Amino acid sequence: MQNRTATTANTGVDEEVVSQMADYTTRGSRLSIDSLYTSEPLIVDPLVTATSTAQDRTLDQCLPLLKAADSNLEYNANGVPRLHRERHIKYLEQTLGNLPAPFVGADASRPWCMYWALNALSLLGADVSKFRENLIVTAAHMQNKTGGFGGGFGQTSHLATTYAMVLSLVIVGGESAYEVIDRRAMWKWLSSLKQPDGGFQMSLGGEVDVRGAYCAAVVISLLNLPLDLSSDSPASAAGLADLYTGLASYVQRCQTFEGGISAKPDAEAHGAYAFCALGCLSILDAPHRIIPRTLNVPRLISWLSSRQYAPEGGFSGRTNKLVDGCYSHWVGACWPLIQASLGAPSQPAHDSEFCSFYDREGLIRYIMSCGQDHSSKGGMRDKPSHRSDAYHTCYVLSGLTSAQHVVSAVLAEEEYVANMAWKVSPYSDPQLFDEQDRLNPTDPVYAIPQRKREEVMTYFLSKPGF
Amino acid sequence: MPPKNNKGGAKAKETSEAKQDNDNSKSQTVFERAQAAYDLTRPPYDKEREELGGLHKLSTVEKTAYASWFCTAPDELNFLSKKAQKELWKQVNETNRPLRRGQIDQPKRDQWGKDRLGRNIGDYTVLQYERRIEKQARLTGLKALGRSFASKRLYASRGLVDSSTGEKYTLTEEDIQAERDRRMEMAALKKDLYGEKMGPYSTDPEWDDVVPVPQMEPEGALSAIAYPEDYAESMSYLRAVMAANEHSPRCLRLTEHIISMNPAHYTVWLYRFANIQHLDMPLLDEIQWLNGVALDFLKNYQIWHHRQLLVDHYHPIIAGSPDEVKRFAKSERAFVMAMFAEDAKNYHVWSYRQYLTRKLGLWENEEHGELDSIEGMIDDDVRNNSAWSHRFFLVFSNPRYANPDSQATEADPGVPADIVDREVAYAQAKIQLAPQNQSPWNYLRGVLVKGGRALGSVKGFAEQYVQNLGDVEKEEVLSSHALELLADIYEEAGDKGEGGLVLAEAGREVGSHTLRVLGVEAEVSEGG
Repeated sequence: MQNRTATTANTGVDEEVVSQMADYTTRGSRLSIDSLYTSEPLIVDPLVTATSTAQDRTLDQCLPLLKAADSNLEYNANGVPRLHRERHIKYLEQTLGNLPAPFVGADASRPWCMYWALNALSLLGADVSKFRENLIVTAAHMQNKTGGFGGGFGQTSHLATTYAMVLSLVIVGGESAYEVIDRRAMWKWLSSLKQPDGGFQMSLGGEVDVRGAYCAAVVISLLNLPLDLSSDSPASAAGLADLYTGLASYVQRCQTFEGGISAKPDAEAHGAYAFCALGCLSILDAPHRIIPRTLNVPRLISWLSSRQYAPEGGFSGRTNKLVDGCYSHWVGACWPLIQASLGAPSQPAHDSEFCSFYDREGLIRYIMSCGQDHSSKGGMRDKPSHRSDAYHTCYVLSGLTSAQHVVSAVLAEEEYVANMAWKVSPYSDPQLFDEQDRLNPTDPVYAIPQRKREEVMTYFLSKPGF
Repeated sequence: MPPKNNKGGAKAKETSEAKQDNDNSKSQTVFERAQAAYDLTRPPYDKEREELGGLHKLSTVEKTAYASWFCTAPDELNFLSKKAQKELWKQVNETNRPLRRGQIDQPKRDQWGKDRLGRNIGDYTVLQYERRIEKQARLTGLKALGRSFASKRLYASRGLVDSSTGEKYTLTEEDIQAERDRRMEMAALKKDLYGEKMGPYSTDPEWDDVVPVPQMEPEGALSAIAYPEDYAESMSYLRAVMAANEHSPRCLRLTEHIISMNPAHYTVWLYRFANIQHLDMPLLDEIQWLNGVALDFLKNYQIWHHRQLLVDHYHPIIAGSPDEVKRFAKSERAFVMAMFAEDAKNYHVWSYRQYLTRKLGLWENEEHGELDSIEGMIDDDVRNNSAWSHRFFLVFSNPRYANPDSQATEADPGVPADIVDREVAYAQAKIQLAPQNQSPWNYLRGVLVKGGRALGSVKGFAEQYVQNLGDVEKEEVLSSHALELLADIYEEAGDKGEGGLVLAEAGREVGSHTLRVLGVEAEVSEGG
């Protein structure tokens, strides 16, 4: 921090910074919060545009919470609020219950509501098995005879809702949940979504993007579907060999000049698509082989590292956009995969310092202070000015668990690389949060509890064919 | 031997009482009136029997009188003993009640049922009850008319002849309108009387042939939504027409209605497009409608895929006429700009713009073209990374010179040097406006890579923003992005000492996390 004066001379915020520093110092004796998280960035251009105005507004709402200056909240000695675990559980269970009429806008994404709630509940250590029977009847009702799940009864099958429904069934687990899925129909339907350029349509007649690549790879690998294309599919007619043919090169075409990944070729780099790209590749082959072969990793790391902002500590989805709690997962979950891409799994060569490709402390501070709805409603949110919702609750908590754990690849079975084992150890350096606020770990590729992922894979590996 | 009453007097009395009753009766409830009527016809001793708790509590005389009254019709009096007859007539005279067999049942308060609000109809005032009966009569009449409409429609569809006129049955627009009005009235009556709701589809004769498929949510379904009635009804009609694979103007209207309630319903959008394709609807009408929807639902995703499908479908029609393509491009650009006025970084709108650029070939900067438009947006907000990203696409994917297989992160020898020069200068000019703005720095790197130029070619430029590095007193850093670029420039030149210094500096300026990440990056590059 010794170079502060050299840069602030140009920003016109000298006094402000100094006063914040003073504020930090007095608080610092009581609460140890590094000024990195409590003061405005050291270099701020004076030019005002729509982007800088929005950024300033965001800082205004985040700083009081980050400085532990909100008198309504209880902070621990590190200036981090507690996790409102019980409230979040209650909020998520409501999402699985009956929803009032204003939720009609979610009518095409009910499987998503289920996945978000069930996954977040398992991260929080709540019992999800009590939802098994009801999930099974709900899923059966939304499955189409022609394969896949729609957003609801009578709706066209869609890869996103299919992904969410399959993951939900895997989270509650058990043979009766697995057997809801009509695997043969699923395989035929996925074959029909496969595009001659290697990608996947989200639904028949729907858009092709990198979400499709990820969702398809997740479903195919979890259910151990045959890779051969159904002979009546257009992709088969176009001469493609199997469901995975050309998928990695489709993902490759989504990397942009910035180093990040876009939804489809030609578009702007975006955090959510970066995760989809890395997740998809990590299913196709071991990360240390396929990621460096497919993507420009140094540029990707540079772009990913730019996603974390100071002082907020949270991640943004794109260059010059605002922090949003959901990128705690979309960007945060990229890091274990990036790390796995840098070395062979059998040689965990990197020391503990290397485990932190991003600033875990900043992310944890953002999530606990700004990403939680501190009211009795519970749930997690985008940023303090936003209301909590099931989507953010799932992905903010997913981000929190990945910040709380060090996950590294340890083994890849050559025959079946998707069934990769990950070594999980708690991260506590520094121990910012109370130990009882540690969440259950999550699988870095599938975004569900690792044990549940292993159970379903074991189940279907014993069932080749249909 | 009927009792001799003064008939005239009784009648006069009755009339005046009746009149009074009539006034009372309007405020009297239906149950009270029935109870009063019942009381008037009760046999003697019935009240006593009830109050005492059974027939056995009555005296023998009372018992006999009660039984005689109850069991005997006037023409059966002869079956009774003289004494019993005498007693009976005495009772008739005393109570002034008619003698007849088969007494009416004692009314019960809930025997009229409940109205839509769960209120006992027995508690209605007589006036209210009469009005209800009138409405029921009206509904019955309307139903009969509706049935005759249905028959007429059936006969007309079969080409039958009306024997009374000798002409074929025909259904006129007036007939249909009359039926529609009738259903509206019936719907209102049903709702009023029984709380039954008839939505716009079940009241529209145009939808009579469709059997709706309601959403039968299984018991215990998770995240079940309490659908508003309108939505539930339209969805049940949608499922029916989709299952029948129907494509028609009415289906289009149905999709429009559902989209207005839930624009995120991808199934409805896909089905709408199938209808448009099938009916060969005019493109501009649909685009016009879509513009309004897009501005109403700014965050919606499906709208933009739908628009893309429309353009795919119609492009072959206009592709032959450059003027038409130009006109269309102009109006699309105007609309996209209207969207950007609301949200200049809307990801879906930008994706559509990239799609449109490829589809319509908007690469070259004709007057007020794509490049000018993007420059305008960058001038509005030099930090708008979406605009920068689009510019990169526009310049480096131009099929006139760009290699279509070139990755975004690799050099493309096809790009002319003057274009690379132009873009380097452009990025540098924008960096000067706000040196800590990452967008033009990322752009500058991207341009250098595409142009196959060394990062070191902009070393002097980057150094403007980092002065007296390492000298604590005089050091001045205006841009951490310049630092990062310089680190890579030093590394490119093989100067790790200087690179390390810059990296350390970057860490101090931007925060420890960036330092770590940059460290990793250096290590990755070294390892490679």
